Amino acid sequence: MADSLVKQVQLACDKLDQVILGKSQQIRLAVTCLLSSGHLLIEDLPGMGKTTLAHGLASIFGLDDSRIQFTSDMLPADILGVSVFDAANGGFVFHPGPIFSQLLLADEINRTTPKTQSALLEAMEEGQVTQDGETRYLPQPFFVIATQNPLTQFGTFPLPESQLDRFLMRINLGYPSAEAERALLMRGDHSSRRDRIAAVMNPETLAEAQKACRSVHASADLVHYIQRLVQYTRDADSFSYGVSPRGALALLRCAKSWAWLNDRQHVVPEDVQHVLEAVVGHRVRAAEDMAGHTATRLVHELLSSVDVMANG
Amino acid sequence: MKRTPKAVDKISRSAVIWQLIACVAVVLPLFSWLPTWVILLGVACVGARLMIHSGRWSFPHWSIRLVLVIAVGVGLLMTFNRDASLNAMVALLTVGLSLKLLEIYRRRDALVLLYVALFVAASVFLFEQGILVALYMLCAVLLVIAALVSVWQDPLREEMFRPLKYAWRLVLPALPLMLVLFFIFPRIGPLWSVELDRSSARTGLSESMSPGDISQLTRSDELAFRAVFEGEPPAPAERYWRALVLSAFDGREWTPGFSASSSASTEELHSIGETIQYEIVQERSNQRWLFALDVPVVAPQQARLTIPRTLLGNTEVSQRIQYSAESARQYFLGAELSSDQLDFFRRIPANSNPRTQALARQWFDEADQDTLRLIDRIFRHFNETFVYTLEPQPLGRHSVDDFLFQTQQGFCEHFASATAVLLRSVGVPSRIVTGYQGGEWNASQGYLTLRQYDAHAWVEVWLEGRGWVRIDPTTAVAPERIEMSADQLFSGQAGFLADSPFISRVGRQGWLLQARMQYDSLNFAWQRWVLNYHHQQQNLLQDWLGDLSAWKMILVLLIPASTVLGFISWRLFGRRSIQDPIDRQLQKLFRKLEQQGYYREPGETLKRFSHRLAQTDPELAQVLLPVAQAYETLHYLPVDQLKERKLLLDEINNASRKLK
Repeated sequence: MADSLVKQVQLACDKLDQVILGKSQQIRLAVTCLLSSGHLLIEDLPGMGKTTLAHGLASIFGLDDSRIQFTSDMLPADILGVSVFDAANGGFVFHPGPIFSQLLLADEINRTTPKTQSALLEAMEEGQVTQDGETRYLPQPFFVIATQNPLTQFGTFPLPESQLDRFLMRINLGYPSAEAERALLMRGDHSSRRDRIAAVMNPETLAEAQKACRSVHASADLVHYIQRLVQYTRDADSFSYGVSPRGALALLRCAKSWAWLNDRQHVVPEDVQHVLEAVVGHRVRAAEDMAGHTATRLVHELLSSVDVMANG
Repeated sequence: MKRTPKAVDKISRSAVIWQLIACVAVVLPLFSWLPTWVILLGVACVGARLMIHSGRWSFPHWSIRLVLVIAVGVGLLMTFNRDASLNAMVALLTVGLSLKLLEIYRRRDALVLLYVALFVAASVFLFEQGILVALYMLCAVLLVIAALVSVWQDPLREEMFRPLKYAWRLVLPALPLMLVLFFIFPRIGPLWSVELDRSSARTGLSESMSPGDISQLTRSDELAFRAVFEGEPPAPAERYWRALVLSAFDGREWTPGFSASSSASTEELHSIGETIQYEIVQERSNQRWLFALDVPVVAPQQARLTIPRTLLGNTEVSQRIQYSAESARQYFLGAELSSDQLDFFRRIPANSNPRTQALARQWFDEADQDTLRLIDRIFRHFNETFVYTLEPQPLGRHSVDDFLFQTQQGFCEHFASATAVLLRSVGVPSRIVTGYQGGEWNASQGYLTLRQYDAHAWVEVWLEGRGWVRIDPTTAVAPERIEMSADQLFSGQAGFLADSPFISRVGRQGWLLQARMQYDSLNFAWQRWVLNYHHQQQNLLQDWLGDLSAWKMILVLLIPASTVLGFISWRLFGRRSIQDPIDRQLQKLFRKLEQQGYYREPGETLKRFSHRLAQTDPELAQVLLPVAQAYETLHYLPVDQLKERKLLLDEINNASRKLK
């Protein structure tokens, strides 16, 4: 059963590869994030395929999805929903907002005001929405893919560090390779391409896969390695601040999912190294960096400085 | 975002208090050696740091600190007048310590401070080496170590007295090591030396003698020296300790007369009967002469014999020294001296003390020109009307005339001087000997203590066929001075111990005396066996180990030292490789790969490494891959550890063999 589950997820990944060309690594990271029950932040320039990826994920895992395009005049109610007086029944009726869906695509989250941002992020963290004194639970699974323009773009509200920490992973897609881009151009512009992706999984099998991911074995030596990595970010002078314990937990969780996705029942250091940039990149900042554009360099330093074989 | 100093850099609040305690503890014993303003500065710095500690003041601005440093530097230059003496060095250390106190905040500052404090603690022993000071310094070092421990204390979980507990546990195991090193570590002379303060007062007898000099000494109970005898000690009346011979008289003052470096040979000594051997522990006097029982046969190592057979040290006695000597109890001294040589001992200024000279001639005639009868006459005269007192009246230019005919009261130097002048007036060769007489016998420990109040002066007269003979005019006027100790005799007299602390004046009877004797003997044992241990060490080690030079001993010491160091380094660095054969073998394998030019990056797992190798050297990668697989299995899979360890070890060894 477990085998077939892995096969299913791998098949899903392969199918997504056909939608977004030449980004198999990013796709697998996104799937890992989903398998780890975490939220994903995609950071890139407009038109790089962020939305396509989000839609593709939703379709292939059979999740009902909704999308919010964030703007600077949005209010929390626009996301969470609003109670409207129903004259016919003589009472208030709650009209759920777009957040009540299994996969929420929060497009350009940094375009909106911090007030609205935090309403979304709170809901992400709690898995519930409380309004008018009534608590409503969000559907399961609940997965947020937020996209964000690089912060140097005009008219944005950068997410503060504390909010960034709520996203399990941050990835950027980057420009496609020359080959992939040629293939993309040959294929022509198909805006409705996602409709043709058939669902490979459903929410139930996804939940099972998530459960399976959690039970992947992580040995003491591996946990030591993760701890050394995290400790390095706290001690080294090149880091302004280090990874929190939540970040360390996230790293282990993602490494497990990555291992499972690669059809293994145990985590090896390579798994940690694969997911490291995506998990840790937005949780650290270089000592001299003010805008947060050096994550790649820092993670590279981290990878090459911490000895993976120093056991004990 | 500015990076705040890491929390671990800052020392805890109780650590600051510990620093202050440690610094005060090490500087305290130096109080009497430091200039007053240095002490005041230290107190002010401690006070200021306490004010900062309580939050009332803030840390001084760097400009204030700069001004302080310059002011203190100028102050030191002015106080010590650019004289780089030991006191100046210690004062420099102390002001440095005091000023550093002002800025302790981070761990680095505290460490610097405490290392300097240890240095200051060591410098205390340059001035004081008594047993109490040593005990005190042990406690002070304990406090410094407690302060060191407190520096590493977590500021969030500080506890005031826990560092002391740890310090005690650290110092205790070091004590046996200290003892071993004390016993066997060779005493090597200093590689360089700093001059002790030249202005330090010379104590004890001075090089010349004028009326009142020796009675002045009775005002002090300072220790002069102690002696231990081989066999029975001499009787009290025999305990004449010879220090200086004074042969030239100017009418008032006696001086040695010939220079110490004169080339004339030492006066001949013929000993009759047994000699007596003894050992002396002499206190610091800043003078060159040593002490010997009348009359020394040979000079100890540290000294040589002068012409009139006194001991002249090779250097000034600037610290406590120990030496052994041998003396003749019955002897002929200088019997062969020619009449020309003796002329020197007949000289007195022609116009001085006219009445004395006349009296001497009159008595000499009455005694039929017989020297012994003349001496007898002089002593009788003293005995009849003279008073032996500690506080004689001052004498004028013709001191002996004044003494003999007017005041008729005096101390030993008055009687000795008068006797010698009387004898010289009629052409009998005579001279003054100064030194110590008597002493306090500590029966339980078997040693003699001589203090400054035991200082004495007597006369040596030259008799045909007999040579120099000791006569002591004091016996004529106050025989009890010779029979009893000066201590017993003078106590109660005005002026005795007038300059000494109250405690030594009252502690002279009953249980107090007992306690004093006990403490004294303890101190003496301390001096002989701890401070001057290097004398015994040579013999002790020779008994145990045979003939050894200092350098051989160092070599011998190197063996246990390197064993200990090796053991520690093994514990620190080599333990893992010895504990885990896998890691050791793996390191070997890596070294072999490095010889071929392949280095594993720290972040590279074995598997990645072998994949990388595969691109350049597929064969090598094939060798390494099974190792990587086994390594991964052992470390990251839920497997039977023992079995997998063995498998991995096999694979590593296998790969190592293939690499050859």
